[in-house]
Amino acid sequence: MNNTKQAIPSVKPLTHVIEGRPDFAYLRVQLPAQETLRVEASAMQAMDKHVTMRTKLKGGFKRLLTGENLFLNEFTAQGKEGELVLGSSLPGDIKRLYLTQNGPALFLQSGSFLAASTGIETQTKFQGLIKGFFSGAGLFLIKCVGEGDIFFNSYGGIIEIQVENEFIIDNNHIVAFTEGLEYSVEKFGGYKSFFFSGEGLVARFHGNGRIWIQTRAMPPFFAWLNPFRRVVTKTKRN
Amino acid sequence: MQIDILARPANTITKITFARNEEITAEGGSMVAMSGGLDVQTTTHKRGKRGIGRAVKRAFAGENIFLNHYKAERDGAHLYVAPNLSGDIMTHELQGSSLIVQATSFLAHEASVDMDVSWQGFKNMLSSEGLFWLKMSGTGKVLVNSFGAIYPVAVDGEYIVDTGHIVAFDEGLNFSLSKAGKSWMSSILGGEGIVCRFKGKGTVWCQSHSPSGFGNALGRLLDPIVEYQQ
Repeated sequence: MNNTKQAIPSVKPLTHVIEGRPDFAYLRVQLPAQETLRVEASAMQAMDKHVTMRTKLKGGFKRLLTGENLFLNEFTAQGKEGELVLGSSLPGDIKRLYLTQNGPALFLQSGSFLAASTGIETQTKFQGLIKGFFSGAGLFLIKCVGEGDIFFNSYGGIIEIQVENEFIIDNNHIVAFTEGLEYSVEKFGGYKSFFFSGEGLVARFHGNGRIWIQTRAMPPFFAWLNPFRRVVTKTKRN
Repeated sequence: MQIDILARPANTITKITFARNEEITAEGGSMVAMSGGLDVQTTTHKRGKRGIGRAVKRAFAGENIFLNHYKAERDGAHLYVAPNLSGDIMTHELQGSSLIVQATSFLAHEASVDMDVSWQGFKNMLSSEGLFWLKMSGTGKVLVNSFGAIYPVAVDGEYIVDTGHIVAFDEGLNFSLSKAGKSWMSSILGGEGIVCRFKGKGTVWCQSHSPSGFGNALGRLLDPIVEYQQ
């Protein structure tokens, strides 16, 4: 009954509230009757009993490469309005945007996708090997087009930046950006800065649009944590 | 220079908006994002001063030995800086006085502030925390970060702070290191180790959590690194 091909894309903004910002954000959505929301696997925390879940294999192999879960869940409110509570596995912030057909598309860093209404189509975009390996944003970006709500999450707080002409961002801190911005992966400052500044490679954005950054990143946290691991010495056997 | 502290309190970030020719020095690796119109230089020392000796001292102080200097080429250029770990950020305005900052808590300072690593107040400190100290003096703003929340304690008389929880303190305070309990046995078994006794009048800024305490708690739960002997 709720096959996506038959579902009528929702073009009404969803009633929702984001609570616990900016450190422990969670999303409460009121789904209208028969409305469906596409949700990242394992992001559902609580829901009304008349909301049903269907698991879909989404995007196949490509989605595996984006670092996203292979499966997307579709939640549908059966018969009457239903509530759904969503959150990310990392402590952080959630941002909601309403995309329109005529407005710019949104690019999400793989891993930032939380949920989207059925009017939003998600495509996996290969970034190219150089950008993919060095941008910190992964080999793929998720491109969101269409009309409807999109929700994305971060590790740490989300800061919105209005870009005019040029902006530089530490690779690990990119969450999302609007279409119309182009970026290249570059070294930070002069050669001395590149090797010694502690910043290494950065993403240099050109054009006009909006970028969302996260105030913390996972890789530096792990780099800090690693020296606290115990060291076990074993004798090598032949 | 305008300093805005955003996304408080757990994953705080600082936005610095410059007027033309204003300068700031930030810890290496702390840049999150920046606009165009900023000139960046990486040095081991204060701009325009020789500082190999200082860099070596900074390396021993457990800090990134490199500093990034940002200079605005136009009005409105801006920079976002944040530490790696979760926690808060505070601004401290120096007016000819000095502030002692625990090395991992240093985030940035205005160009008019002088940073000195040669401060040896704690040189005899025997502590598991491996803490080192930076002395900030001059006039201008210093940005300091904490692991967890940051809280000031007004000292008038005597006050005791665990060494792992000190973020910064007024240089005017006298201090001595001592055991937390009555005997060394209770201090070590009680997990408090060495504490700092502040005396006089001034402020100590403390952090709600100790990075080494958190690291040790998590490190025990992670898979060990296996090294094979020949």
